[in-house]
Amino acid sequence: MARTDAPAARLPVLTRERRRILYACAAAVVLFLVGNVVRPGFASPASISAILVVASFVGMVAAGQTFVILIGGIDLSVPWVLNAAAILLATSSLGQDGRAAYALVLTLGMGAVVGLANGLAIALLGVPAVVMTLAMNGIMEGLTLGLSGGLTCASCASYAPPVVQAAIHGSLLGIPTALLLWLGVLLVVSVLLSLTVFGRSTYAIGNNARASFLAGVNVKAMTVALYMLSGFFSALAGVMLVGFGGQASLGMGDPYLFQSIAAVVIGGVYILGGRGHYVGAAAGAVTLVALVSVLLAMNMPEYGRSIIYGVIILVLLLLYGREEGEA
Amino acid sequence: MAAPQAIATRRPRLAHAMLQSAPLLLSLAMLAASIVVYCAIYLASQHRLPGGFELTSTVNNTMPLAMAAVGQSFVVLTRGIDLSVGGIIDLTNAVAAVAIHDSPASMVGWSLAILAIGALLGLVNGLLVAVGRLQPILVTLATLSIFQGIAIRVLPQPGGAIPDAYGAVLANVDAPISLIYVALLVLGWRVFRRTRLGVSIFAIGNDEPAAAANGIDVRRTKIAAYVLSGTFSAAAGLFLAAAATAGDATTGNSYTLTSIVAIVLGGVSLFGGRGSAVGGIAGAFVTSMIVNILFFSHIDPLYQNFYEGLFLVLAVTAAAGIGHYFRRRA
Amino acid sequence: MSLAESAGAGQPVPAIEGVGISRAFGGVRAVQDASFAALAGEVHALVGENGAGKSTLIKILGGRIRPDAGQVRVRGAAVLLNSPHDAHRLGAWTVFQELTLLPAMTVAENLLLGREPRGRLGLIDRRAMERDGEAMLAGLGIHHIDPLALVQDLPLAERQIVEIVRAITQDPSILFLDEPTSSLMEREVAWLFGQIRRLRAAGTAIVFTSHRWNEIVSIADRITVCRGGTNVGTFTEIGEDEAVTLMTGRRVGSQYPPRPPAPAGETALAVRNLSGEGVHDVSLELRKGEILGIGGLAGHGHRELFFMLFGAQQPTGGEIRLDGKPVRIASPRAAVRTGSGIALVPEDRKTEGLLLAMSVRDNMSLTILSRIASVGVIRQATEQRLCRGIMEMLKVRAAGLASPVGALSGGNQQKVLLGRWLLADCRTLLLYDVTRGVDAATKHEIYELMTRLAGEGRSIMFYSSDAEELAHQAHRVLVLREGRIAAELDGTGLTAEDIVAAAMRDRAA
Repeated sequence: MARTDAPAARLPVLTRERRRILYACAAAVVLFLVGNVVRPGFASPASISAILVVASFVGMVAAGQTFVILIGGIDLSVPWVLNAAAILLATSSLGQDGRAAYALVLTLGMGAVVGLANGLAIALLGVPAVVMTLAMNGIMEGLTLGLSGGLTCASCASYAPPVVQAAIHGSLLGIPTALLLWLGVLLVVSVLLSLTVFGRSTYAIGNNARASFLAGVNVKAMTVALYMLSGFFSALAGVMLVGFGGQASLGMGDPYLFQSIAAVVIGGVYILGGRGHYVGAAAGAVTLVALVSVLLAMNMPEYGRSIIYGVIILVLLLLYGREEGEA
Repeated sequence: MAAPQAIATRRPRLAHAMLQSAPLLLSLAMLAASIVVYCAIYLASQHRLPGGFELTSTVNNTMPLAMAAVGQSFVVLTRGIDLSVGGIIDLTNAVAAVAIHDSPASMVGWSLAILAIGALLGLVNGLLVAVGRLQPILVTLATLSIFQGIAIRVLPQPGGAIPDAYGAVLANVDAPISLIYVALLVLGWRVFRRTRLGVSIFAIGNDEPAAAANGIDVRRTKIAAYVLSGTFSAAAGLFLAAAATAGDATTGNSYTLTSIVAIVLGGVSLFGGRGSAVGGIAGAFVTSMIVNILFFSHIDPLYQNFYEGLFLVLAVTAAAGIGHYFRRRA
Repeated sequence: MSLAESAGAGQPVPAIEGVGISRAFGGVRAVQDASFAALAGEVHALVGENGAGKSTLIKILGGRIRPDAGQVRVRGAAVLLNSPHDAHRLGAWTVFQELTLLPAMTVAENLLLGREPRGRLGLIDRRAMERDGEAMLAGLGIHHIDPLALVQDLPLAERQIVEIVRAITQDPSILFLDEPTSSLMEREVAWLFGQIRRLRAAGTAIVFTSHRWNEIVSIADRITVCRGGTNVGTFTEIGEDEAVTLMTGRRVGSQYPPRPPAPAGETALAVRNLSGEGVHDVSLELRKGEILGIGGLAGHGHRELFFMLFGAQQPTGGEIRLDGKPVRIASPRAAVRTGSGIALVPEDRKTEGLLLAMSVRDNMSLTILSRIASVGVIRQATEQRLCRGIMEMLKVRAAGLASPVGALSGGNQQKVLLGRWLLADCRTLLLYDVTRGVDAATKHEIYELMTRLAGEGRSIMFYSSDAEELAHQAHRVLVLREGRIAAELDGTGLTAEDIVAAAMRDRAA
């Protein structure tokens, strides 16, 4: 009989993935402490809460990015899907509460449809994900600019409906609703990835798409669904941002491509797919935003932040890489 | 020998060449088609054919992208990707604007120095990828951020002055002398293909472990590819500076993406080991022609990215379809 | 190239020698304190089960990987091999089990990689390269491989030949061949052995591995048996039973279990006039409880036929009936769900079968996830129980259900794959070369399993590159040639020679 539980070969509880999630969390804590030294009050509940709200925007985008990176894909269309969503919400609602529900459905639906288009081209036509989502970013940029006349259209000055603004700015039991929403997403995505057929299939495809197909996994449908989720989450981030800031602007999505990928990587998701978890990406988002806040608190000019950003990511990559070598 | 298969009818050399460089031929056909469409639309709206001025300005406008695309090709052929192309262009462009003065010595000296800077930045990428064993997409995403930051530090505001003489050499507005650079690039590529480094780059893009087992130095080859990419990006930065006669530390940002677009249109496989920098150059010109066509079709320039994106998807899908068709028939 | 010769009058100095070699991968010892020596002018076979360390030892001696401990000596001098290149300089060339050809490059480019003919300015002369490549192939009697063809367009057997040609034409003084015959058919093997004899006569030390015993005895001068990462003995003469005993550390009975009686039962799978890429007008019937062997030369439509029946490739014409009902199998997913369920164990378990970084459990349950889930959530306890049951039934040797499949030996990986389909309770099993590169003991277990499954009334369609195996295991054998059924042979009294002869008929001309 096969020995199925030899104690010596038992797998460690703290797997590499889990360790990385811990690292990302620890890094966030350290950054808050450092920030508090630089500027006292940085780690006050109010300040932490504000930083977490900003992180929630990155976290939303990172949720979608995690899904597609887990199958070895990538979504470069994030910036303009997000931007288009923000503008679409404002222009379709015209700032009226009565139209808010319609505008929300329309906007989130738009995100999912763009993701659907990405997914179909990638899964059915075999267009490489980098090319397809890159092209889609251009398509969304051109469409957004063209249709809004460069954000000069009559309805372009509209604000997000007050309900949406209030929802994002509001709080429940002292916790900002944006944060609650993020916690909800965190929970749903975690359950989806860890416990469901959907999640297991995602990891399987990321590990070996061909073998998954030959094992009866519906790789194409899964791919389409995952890109749809990514588009949906980009749009959701756009909705939250326009709710948070009140008005949409051009280029507001630009930082989120870099940040979403960075958050995913800091959180220990393997860029070639198959390994990692959204919890890590969420922790990565917090770390990233905390870092930016610390640098701002230190009055670091933009170029300095840009450099430090890059350096931090490289350092983390080298640390993770070292660990990879050990295993 | 006891050959188990009947002697297959040998395909003639030309058929092999056609089949094996089908993506390149496709991209050249695409370029030809876009030129024809451009001429037709130009003729319709201007009532004459485009002339020397149009040729000169098109070539000058395309040179930076052609350079960046050639650089990107080296890296993509090794199955990597260089997202820092834009950052290297930013930084070298900024340095050019600050440093180059109106003396031949300064122009030549600084040009070489700037190419060396580009090579150095590429070396950083190469070392991180090859020795640090990190994913190219992540490494160059990070260095992109770093290079962009340094560029803004070097030249906080667009400005600086590039001597006119410099522009006359690299981006002459009176005669299409930039065509010489295109010819040199194509010639250089053909020579490169017949060098050991050329073979090695294709080999590791084909199958890295197999290449290593065949005695190819994977590390050194990868580093060389990134150094070449950096150098060509720096050249792109110089061409941009020459054309604008000034510098801008954000001018290169769009080139990361457009260089990838150009090589994809040029038939270079993002999965490495297949393609040609000549295709990348053709792809760069196709991109320029699209801009021209949109302009003369009186399409709102705000929609430019929309059409470019759409064209990219259609081109890639069509190329995949045609390739599939030919493989089947072959 | 100087040949290793006897040093003085005493013991000949080995051409290449590994002394006390050890190497571990992630805590698993692949080779442990192994010593091995090959003499100039001998053919030395390395035999052992999968995981016995043969390939690792060859990789170390070939410079592909470095040992953790021990010394490599070439012609008596200790050397440090940091790369295959170092080994090449010493005249040691290797044909690795996983081929090292570059797919998008031509045959000629591959043959001349690293020794390209130079023209003006030291640049590579492409015309000369084509010429030299053609000459190399022709010089070894190979005329059917086009030097201008891309390697990716060649069938596996031809790729293997190109790989061998590349090594042979380096005039090696030491040549390692790791499983060179696994994808070759008999005539190609005969060609290879002719080359090996030629090199032996010229004084080359040749080390090769194979799982086919008749090949080993027909060519080897000496045989070294490996077990558990070390050598257990070197022999000039050893019988198969004795060798197998040494390899496994226990006695294995007859290699093939007795065949169950041929079933007269109903037809499970009927195929009529099936055509498509690589397959032409194939009709066949597979009865319940039957083991139907599919034989023939490599690259003659077997893979395509299996893929079509499994929905991984679409036919252009013809009909497939399952249990009497016509079905259209649009995808593997559909195949599994069709009636009694069709399963395919593909050719290459690492790229087409397994999720190497995922656990034994994840690999086994992948196909049945939706069956053991409520509202999309996997019932973990059920999953654990089912997988454990299969694991114990198939005697999968792994640390646990959670250990990554990539850490298991080849035979155990194959069992995990088989387990996946048993878990899915598929009644029609398409097994494609499942015993390729699997050690003798696991092979035997797989044969027994096949017999048992057929006895339970499941239908098995079984392709093998090993005609011997088909002759012993199958009730009937269909031989494919150029995508058509060339012969149907009855299993009773069938020999490997019959199958090979059917596959090659009309070929001699």
